[in-house]
Amino acid sequence: MSSIMVYLQPIPVRIWHWLNALGIVTLCVSGAQIRFPEYVTLFGSYRSAIMLHNTAGIVVALSFSIWFFYYKFVADSLADIYIPKGSDLTTGLFRQVIFYFFAYFFGAPNPHHATPESKFNPLQKSAYLAIMFVLMPFVSLTGILLMNMGPMREIVMLVGGLKILVAIHFLLACSLCAFIFTHVYLATLGSTPLAYFKPMWSGWEKVEHHGTEHSH
Amino acid sequence: MKHGSRSLLTKHSIIMAVFIVACIATGDQSRAAEFSFGDGTGKNEACIACHGNQEKVDSKNYINPTSFGHTTHAKFGCTTCHDTIASNHPNGKSVASTTRCDDCHGDIITQYSASIHATKASCSGCHNPHRVFKPGEISAIEMNKQCAGCHDTNKITASHAQWLPQAGVHLGAISCVTCHSKAENYVITIYIAKRADSDPEQKPELASFEELKKRSGSDSIQYLIDRNRDSYISLDELRKFNRDSANQDLYLKAILTPVKPTHSFQTFDNRWDCTFCHASGPEIMQTSYLSFPEQNGTFQQIAVEKGAAMDALHAIPNFYLMGSTRNGLLNKLGLLIIIGGMVMPVGHGFFRFLSRKNRQ
Repeated sequence: MSSIMVYLQPIPVRIWHWLNALGIVTLCVSGAQIRFPEYVTLFGSYRSAIMLHNTAGIVVALSFSIWFFYYKFVADSLADIYIPKGSDLTTGLFRQVIFYFFAYFFGAPNPHHATPESKFNPLQKSAYLAIMFVLMPFVSLTGILLMNMGPMREIVMLVGGLKILVAIHFLLACSLCAFIFTHVYLATLGSTPLAYFKPMWSGWEKVEHHGTEHSH
Repeated sequence: MKHGSRSLLTKHSIIMAVFIVACIATGDQSRAAEFSFGDGTGKNEACIACHGNQEKVDSKNYINPTSFGHTTHAKFGCTTCHDTIASNHPNGKSVASTTRCDDCHGDIITQYSASIHATKASCSGCHNPHRVFKPGEISAIEMNKQCAGCHDTNKITASHAQWLPQAGVHLGAISCVTCHSKAENYVITIYIAKRADSDPEQKPELASFEELKKRSGSDSIQYLIDRNRDSYISLDELRKFNRDSANQDLYLKAILTPVKPTHSFQTFDNRWDCTFCHASGPEIMQTSYLSFPEQNGTFQQIAVEKGAAMDALHAIPNFYLMGSTRNGLLNKLGLLIIIGGMVMPVGHGFFRFLSRKNRQ
């Protein structure tokens, strides 16, 4: 069985990914301190937690912009990589679900093979579509509004008030937090537990021929 | 006989003396009515006849009869304080007074004298004795306006912004005395504010009695929200007010106010710590009152159902005190979502472990 190295994750994508990862984890923990200050005091004073949360929020919003700019205008592959095709929805999703929840336990290979043009399996595409086009923009937007309550008060009123804005921000943030657990776990489903972590650091993925897993 | 003549003389003398005293007394009474000062029993009509009429006195000497009539000072009467009024008033010099605030308010003066504010302003610097109210009878907005009389709002916002994130939002949601006076307890007071032409953060503008009266018609303003007229505001009534399209130009402005502000004005060390409010816990945020304007210039408070500030969405849509007004239902929903994210690692991981030999 031979293997080749494929350059799967270009530098802008890796920078975005790790900035995003660090930012979202920071946001989750500092957000927990902001909402439950009696129980979470990891970042010291409440003010520190607020400042950190705001800073991390700006970093994540900027890294999201890097991601969008790179895929849309530099690589021009945003739709190809993130939008599920017809076959993905009709058969691909089902095949991938069967793999993860049944075939995987019997040692069957992953039906999807990652390439630079098609990095994600149909299940990933659907999940990332929701995360990158719904969760991330809305959690960023609600966060920006909450950071600028004074000048953006009228927009907040249009949304229905501060309470609704906070509720949306909180539930979206919980969804992102939930995603992290699933995302990190799925990243361990490679040929080795670290097989999918390495490409996101170095850019290169070792792709083995003759039916082994290539995607998480 | 001699004895009888003496008795008659004595009787005449007594009658004469009584007559003279009666004449003097009658003369004094007629002069009191002529000079228009109050009679000290709460009837200040004589004084108010001129001082309550803007056409008769200048603005400096004008006293709003409705506002003054509501005060405890009015019950004592004008001459209780203005005790050295000249008998030829109003032709004489201005109304003098030897009465001092600490004649009655000694405890407060002692407390105030110890504060850093004492050297900056006297009692009348903040309080108009002809227009004084109990703490709940004056809106937090008006209290803040009194502070703004000396403390420039822009400078205050700028100085707070040096350490306080979103200073404008904070200053619009609390009364100055919430942080700068030592009070033991706090409540959330809800006012009816106007959306148009106002800066809800730094210069919120409350709807006036007249403006709200136009809406309520012959009814009390209270019934604009208290729809079942039980003098108690339920969360449902708050929600209905917020959802009513007729109220689109209004909003409920909630402000954190001290229950009983003191005169010990200073910047307390614990107020620099955000957790003083933000980690005060949901319990302290349960109590709130609806405060609406009355015709006499005061505000009346009605108790609101427990937990208005904690309501997830619609009770007070624009009041949120991070950390302390978190909604329990949303907390549980958020926890369920996060647990949902752990289902895959835990459930799949369990079967993965059991089936590990199949992949070797």
